[in-house]
Amino acid sequence: MKRLFVLGMALMVVLGLILPAGAADKNEPLILTMFSGDINPDDTGFEDPIAKKITEATGVKLKIEYPVGEYEQKVTLMIASGEYPDLIFHKNAGPFVEAGAFIDLTPYIEEYGENIKKLYGPYLNRLRYSIDDPSIYYLGCFGVGSKVWDVSGVQLQHAVVKELGYPKMETVQDLENAIKAYIEKYPTINGQPTIGLSLLADDWRFLITVTNQAAFATGAPDDGEWYVDPETYEAVLHHTRPEEREYFRWLNHMNDIGLLDPESFVQKYDQYLAKIASGRVLALTDARWQYEQAEQALRQQGMFERTYGSYPIVLDERFRRMDLQDPGYSAGWGIGITVDCKDPVAAFKFLDWMASDEAQILNNWGIEGVNYVVIDGKRVIPPEEMNRRLNDPNYRRETGVGLYVYPFPQRGDGILDPTGNTYTVTTPDYIKERYSDIEKEVLAAYGAEMWMDLFPQQDELPIKPWGAAWQIPTPEDPKYQMAWQRIQDIIRRRIPEAILASPDQFDAIYDKMLQEIEDAGLEYVTTEFNKLLQNRLKHWGIIE
Amino acid sequence: MNLKRAMGKIYHQRYLLLMSLPFVIWVVIFKYVPIWGWTMAFQEYKPHRTFWQQPWVGLAHFRELFRDPMFYEVMRNTLVMSVLSLICGYTLPIIFALLLNELRNGFFKRFVQTVSYLPHFVSWVIVASMFSKLLGIDGGVNQALMALGIIDKPILFLAQGRYFWGLVTSIEVWKEIGWNSIIFLAAMMAVDPDLYDAAAVDGAGRFRRMWHVTLPGISTVIAIMLIMSIGNLINIGFEKQFLLGNNLVKDYSEVLDLYVLNYGIRIGRYSYGTAIGIFKSVVSVTLLLLANGIIRRINPEGRII
Repeated sequence: MKRLFVLGMALMVVLGLILPAGAADKNEPLILTMFSGDINPDDTGFEDPIAKKITEATGVKLKIEYPVGEYEQKVTLMIASGEYPDLIFHKNAGPFVEAGAFIDLTPYIEEYGENIKKLYGPYLNRLRYSIDDPSIYYLGCFGVGSKVWDVSGVQLQHAVVKELGYPKMETVQDLENAIKAYIEKYPTINGQPTIGLSLLADDWRFLITVTNQAAFATGAPDDGEWYVDPETYEAVLHHTRPEEREYFRWLNHMNDIGLLDPESFVQKYDQYLAKIASGRVLALTDARWQYEQAEQALRQQGMFERTYGSYPIVLDERFRRMDLQDPGYSAGWGIGITVDCKDPVAAFKFLDWMASDEAQILNNWGIEGVNYVVIDGKRVIPPEEMNRRLNDPNYRRETGVGLYVYPFPQRGDGILDPTGNTYTVTTPDYIKERYSDIEKEVLAAYGAEMWMDLFPQQDELPIKPWGAAWQIPTPEDPKYQMAWQRIQDIIRRRIPEAILASPDQFDAIYDKMLQEIEDAGLEYVTTEFNKLLQNRLKHWGIIE
Repeated sequence: MNLKRAMGKIYHQRYLLLMSLPFVIWVVIFKYVPIWGWTMAFQEYKPHRTFWQQPWVGLAHFRELFRDPMFYEVMRNTLVMSVLSLICGYTLPIIFALLLNELRNGFFKRFVQTVSYLPHFVSWVIVASMFSKLLGIDGGVNQALMALGIIDKPILFLAQGRYFWGLVTSIEVWKEIGWNSIIFLAAMMAVDPDLYDAAAVDGAGRFRRMWHVTLPGISTVIAIMLIMSIGNLINIGFEKQFLLGNNLVKDYSEVLDLYVLNYGIRIGRYSYGTAIGIFKSVVSVTLLLLANGIIRRINPEGRII
C-alpha cells in the first residue's frame, strides 16, 4: 500500500514536470534560436522595448548567437556538427546550401508571404538561388531599392582644407600636396607627431582600406576582389589591372617621402582607432563604418576640426568615382530558415511580419509617442530625441531602435510608405542634421550641401547590371577555395611589401606578386568566377 | 594453469580494477574513439554526407600537403620557433631556479618568485598589445635606444621579418620563465641538505655545489621535462604568432596551426585539416620516442617510457 502511494506520488511529480511543457501556454512566447553572421555590439538579449513589441505582435522571442572571432570558422564548425539554430543570417550561402541546411521558402512565400512579396517587389526573383536551383533559401538583407546619399570617399581632416584655403581636392596629387603642406606647417598635433595618411591592414580590414581603395580611385565600383568590365561583363581580379599598380605606386611614393604612417601595416584595429581619435591623422582611405567610432570620440572631445570630410579622390583625371552608382539589388547575404527549425511556419510568419509596414516603421522609427510623434500625418523625431539618437552611444541599446533592421528584410532609404513618409529615417535632411558647424563651413566653401554633391552623380553613371560581385556565393570546390585562399595570402603579403619598398624596388615586387598569383591558380579561379557571373546574369535575365 | 593464476590475480585485485574502470572507459571514449575521425583524412569529407557516401581518396590529401611549398615554409617557422623556445624556455628557467635556490633571504626570494609568476597569468592578447605598444615607433624601446644614441631613427621592430623569431621567443621567455621554474625549484627542495654540507666540507664553493649537488639532484626532473617538451615540439599553438604577426612578417610568422586554420577548417576542407593532424601526431610520437631513447642511453633513470 505504502509502496503504491510512493509510486503514485512519483508519477504525479513526473507528470507535473512534463505537462506544462507539453501543453504550451498561450502567453509563453515561442523562442527561436538564430545565428547572426555579424556581431551586434548593442545586443540586449531581445529584452529592449522594441524587441518586446515584436514579441507582442508575433509571439516570437529571438535568441541570437554571434560568431566569436571569425565568421568562416564558426560557420564551418556549425556545418561540421550538422546542428543548426532555427534561423541563420549568413554572409555566404554556398556552404549552407551545399550542406542542405536551408529549407526552400518558395511554398511559404506563396502561402504566407504577402509582406515579403510587397517588400522585394520585382527583385523577388533575384532571391532564387541560381539558374540550376531556383529555390529561395533566404531573404536578402540590405535595403531594397535603397537610394545612396551617404558616401565615404577618401577622408581628409577639415582643419587641413580650411588652413590651406580649400584647395582643389580631386586627385591623389591634390591630396598629397595638401597633406605635405599641412605637415610642414604643423609637424605636431597636441604634442604628438602629425601623421599624414594611415592605413589599416589588420586581417580582412586590409581589403577595405588598402585594396578596395585602389579600385575606387581608378574608377571601379565595389565588386570585392573583382573588376567586371562593364561592356563585356568579364571579371578579372582587380589587383591585376595596370591602373591599380599606379595607385599602389603612389602609396609607395607617399611612404618614400614620409607621409605614410610607418605603422600602417603593423597596427591592429584598436590601435588604429586610438590613433585617429587622438586627432593627429590627417587623411584616411577608409569606409565610414570602419572609422566612425573614432570620429565619434573626436566629436565627444569637441575636436570637430579633426573629423573628416569625404572627397572624390581619383588617381588622375582619366577616372571618375563610382561611389553613387546604383548597384541594383544583389541579395547575396540574408536570413534563412534551417532544416532543424522547430516550427518553420511560425518562423516564416515571423520573418514575414518583420517585412510588414508596421514592423519596418517600428524598427526604423521606434515606438510612436516615445521615439517619434506624428504631426499632420508626418512622422517627426522630437529634437531632444534626435539629439540622443545622434550623439548618445547607448541610444540603440536602451531603446532598441534600429537594432532589428539589419539583417532582416528591410526597405531601402528613400522609399515611401502608404502615408507618404519614408520607411527609414535616413533622408538628406537627416544626414545634414548630423553635420557639425565646421563641416557645413567646409562644404559651403566647396559649393556643396552634402558630401555626395562633390561626387559624380547617380544619373551620370551607368547602371550596374550584375549587382555587387562580392555578394556572389563562392563555390564549394576545394580547388577553387585553396587557390583563392593562396591568392589572398600572396596579395596580403606582397602589396604591403611593395608599398614599403624603396621606389626602384616597387616594380620588381609587384611583378613577383603577379607571377605568384598566376602560379597559385589565378586562371582557374577567374574562369570559375566568370561562370558564376555569367550564370547570375542569365538568371537575372540580363544576358541570353 | 597460467590462466587460473591470472584469474586468481584478477579476483585478488578486483576492487582496484573496478575503481580504475571509469577512467579506462573515459580514456577509450574521449581519446580512442575520436581516432575513428582519422578516416576523414582518406576521404573527400563533406559534412552532410553519411560515412558510406564519402568518396575515398586514399593518400591524396597527404600528397597535396607534401607538394605544397607553403607547407615547408610553415614547418620551418614552426620548428625554428619551437626549438628556440625549447632552448631558451627550458634552460633559462633552470638557471633562474638555481639562482633563486641560492638566495638565503626568505622574504626576498618569495617576492621575486611571485613577481616572476605573474606574467604567466596574463593572456596572450594583452601581452601582444602591450609589446606592440612598447615596440612601436614611439614606444618605450625606441625611445630608450634613441636616448642612448644607439639608433638615430626609430625601428619598427614588428615590421621586420628577421626580428620576428627572436621577439616571439624573448616575449615568451619573459612571460613563462617564473612559471616554468616552479617545478625545478620544487625538485631542488628535495635535495638532501647533508650533501651540501658534505660538499662544503670537501671545499666546494657555491658554483661547485650547484654543479655537483643541485644539478645531479634534479636530473630526473630535467629529463622528464625535456622529454615532454620535445614531444610537444610541433604543437606550439598559434596565439603568439597570430597576435604579434602582421602581413609584413607573414613569411616568418605563419605556423602549422595557422596553416591548418586557413587552408583547412576555414575553407571547409576538413579532410585536409585532419591529414595535417595525423602528420602532427606522427611527428610528436616519433620525437617523443627519440628523446626517450637518447635519455635512456645517457641516464637510464631518466626515461619515462
